[in-house]
Amino acid sequence: MDEFEKRLKRDADAILAEASPELRARIHASLQSTSQVRPAGKKAETAPANLWWASSLTGLAAAIMVIVLINWNRADSVPVPAETIADVTVPADPDPLLTAPMLDIRTADFTSPLEDELVKLQSDIEKARESVKKDLDFTF
Amino acid sequence: MFTDEQLVEASLDGSAGAFDEIVGRYQERLLRFLLTRSSSRADAEDAVQDTFINAYRYLASYDSRWRFSTWIYRIAIRNAARQRRPEWHDSDVELVDDSDPLKECMAHSERENVWLAAKRLLSNDSYDAMWLRYVEDLSVKEISSALEKSASWTKVTLLRGRRKLSTELAGTTTAAEQRQSYGRI
Repeated sequence: MDEFEKRLKRDADAILAEASPELRARIHASLQSTSQVRPAGKKAETAPANLWWASSLTGLAAAIMVIVLINWNRADSVPVPAETIADVTVPADPDPLLTAPMLDIRTADFTSPLEDELVKLQSDIEKARESVKKDLDFTF
Repeated sequence: MFTDEQLVEASLDGSAGAFDEIVGRYQERLLRFLLTRSSSRADAEDAVQDTFINAYRYLASYDSRWRFSTWIYRIAIRNAARQRRPEWHDSDVELVDDSDPLKECMAHSERENVWLAAKRLLSNDSYDAMWLRYVEDLSVKEISSALEKSASWTKVTLLRGRRKLSTELAGTTTAAEQRQSYGRI
């Protein structure tokens, strides 16, 4: 404690604050007519320990009731259409299959014109080669 | 010697004398503090009475994790704040310095009481914090609880209050020394 703190303490003690007998009597009389306020209902809020099963059973029963009610209401409110199952698995009338048009199936021939062209070109080349050969023979 | 907290327990258990013991311990401390905060001695005594009534009535809500002094000072500060302000604030009548209960209660001394200077220089909250720290020896945490402020606010306020008062006291001392030296000359 430094000098400043000592002075603060000393000066506080220098304040004369003796409680008068009248003040003491007033306080005493006031306290006599005052009752303490106790926080109410704290124990009532918590269930006794030996009744834990009661709350568990109540909760279980409530859950079952909720499930039953939900399912009950759903059955009433959403009607499910009855399923229809066919008795026969083949068409009753075979005529559409029999009267179906018969298709004339041919393979498409896209290559023959090119092959003809190739033969013509090869014969042209052969003719040209023979012509060149004749010319060479004449030259030498 | 029972502690305050033990006396509270006893009072809650129905002991009539336990709270009387608390009153005996705190009435002068609270009166001294409230004299410095009220506008008259009568107001300070009313505030002391109200503080004990409130404390007794709501004793069950006292949290024993805190010191009892923290709790009862919080009640006292609230009562002091609720009190009517001096009439001179509402009218043109000037407050005469001599009517200050703090001045009336000062032991006669040649120098100014530092709490008079504190009352003049500091705000109410700052004054309360300084009083609780240096007179009641409460910790920063307890003061912040009593004043319902944060711990950082309390630290800063204490530091500023101390600095302001130290500066004022240093100035006063220098002036007094100067007067003495002039007298010698």
